[in-house]
Amino acid sequence: MTRGDKYLAAGILLVAIFALAFPRLQSSLFPMATSSARAVIKARGKIVREVDLSDRGGRSTLVVNGRVGPSTLEVEWKRIRMKEANCPDKICVKQGWIEKPGDSIVCIPGEILVRIEGAAPVDAVTR
Amino acid sequence: MMEKKGRYLLPLLLAILVVAVVAVPLYLGKEIEYKSDRFLMDTMVSIKAYGRDEGKLKDAVTAAYGEMQRIADLSDRFPAPGSAEYKASDVCLINENAGIMPVRVHREIIDMLLLAKKYHGLGKGAFDVTIGPVMDLWGFTGNNPKIPPPEKLAKTLTLVDSNKLIINEERQTAFLEKRGMKLDLGAVAKGYATEKAVQVLKSRGVARALIDAGDNIRVIGKKSRNAPWKIGIKDPRKSGGIIAIVSLTDGSAVTSGDYYRYFESGGRRYNHIIDPRTGYPASANMSVTVMTENAGVADCLSTIFFVLEPEKSLELAGKMGGVDIFLVTADRRILHTPSLKGRVEVKSGEDYRYDQGR
Repeated sequence: MTRGDKYLAAGILLVAIFALAFPRLQSSLFPMATSSARAVIKARGKIVREVDLSDRGGRSTLVVNGRVGPSTLEVEWKRIRMKEANCPDKICVKQGWIEKPGDSIVCIPGEILVRIEGAAPVDAVTR
Repeated sequence: MMEKKGRYLLPLLLAILVVAVVAVPLYLGKEIEYKSDRFLMDTMVSIKAYGRDEGKLKDAVTAAYGEMQRIADLSDRFPAPGSAEYKASDVCLINENAGIMPVRVHREIIDMLLLAKKYHGLGKGAFDVTIGPVMDLWGFTGNNPKIPPPEKLAKTLTLVDSNKLIINEERQTAFLEKRGMKLDLGAVAKGYATEKAVQVLKSRGVARALIDAGDNIRVIGKKSRNAPWKIGIKDPRKSGGIIAIVSLTDGSAVTSGDYYRYFESGGRRYNHIIDPRTGYPASANMSVTVMTENAGVADCLSTIFFVLEPEKSLELAGKMGGVDIFLVTADRRILHTPSLKGRVEVKSGEDYRYDQGR
């Protein structure tokens, strides 16, 4: 091994260690590995479904039983929305599709929460 | 001799570096996150707390929710008369005895009413907790809001007057002087309860946490050793959009907007934040975000600054000290106090005007 080889080996080793030590660096080096979009659905305090949003195959619907009866969610590639709900205010339905990590749909009368998991650009949003 | 020393130096340095690089993040990363959400105060509250002991974090967060629930029960104005919830509510008790007699209530209700009266004075009437009868007339508390007949509105407006809310701190009593007057703590209770939750978390040793109380944000500490929390401010007209990102440490960010509860009639938007001076929804702003340490204060102020004219708000906030505001006006201007410069990243796009030179 020449001196140059040693420096090269040391350099590679360092990058590898950094990548292992800092998960954030890791995800920016290999973005594809961490972008499996997933929505978590909670109703009345419990997780009732976890939905994979990375499926490109068309739309599907699913029914969640909240406090005010069944609510229908619609899932497409990368996004999800509340399609129909029994709540009086329909704020959840009016909100439309959500698609970014950290975004959520909240139905207060139904006590339903839909949240897209993953690293969000902000820690919280004030509305 | 020199040869040998040089040969060991590089591997030794490397070894130290490896240990430092691996061990330091592992040590710092030992803190865990405890996250949970709960539906209370007609909204969803989620708390994220950080520490080393999950059991302690869970207990602290559960106690914080308990405190918020207690404040909610005391200040709820809508339970059915005669129900257990009605009997538990101090606000129902005060409203029921309007024009009759002062009633003794919990210390927390007195605190909230004093806070509300203070900001009623400071906002020169742009904020009033005795707005109850007018809120009911517009129907914003139910599901079918509509424009009330002007004569009826004018008559009902005479019942709105925080000067006729009499607080006796010593006896811990509250009294609405006129029959038909009604308290509505909608613009105070959530912020006040959030602040109480913060006290509970801190008293149990939580030094880093984020409370999202129905989109009112309160943070304890910093996000990490050297980075503040990053809080997005909602774009008032774009679903899922963010108009700005602010840095926040040990403080709250509370927004009042015209998009959450509103109805449209004759091409006009009527939102649920009523100007107590006119009885009609305030229309100078699309959204107003207040950043200050105390979430209860931020809650009151966001309503005041939503109601006031933007220029007046900036002037008033500037005089207060420790209060930053971010406004999106009805004519699509983005304004903020100079104190926010360097702490806010504005994403105005093409829909809004933002003059950075302000």
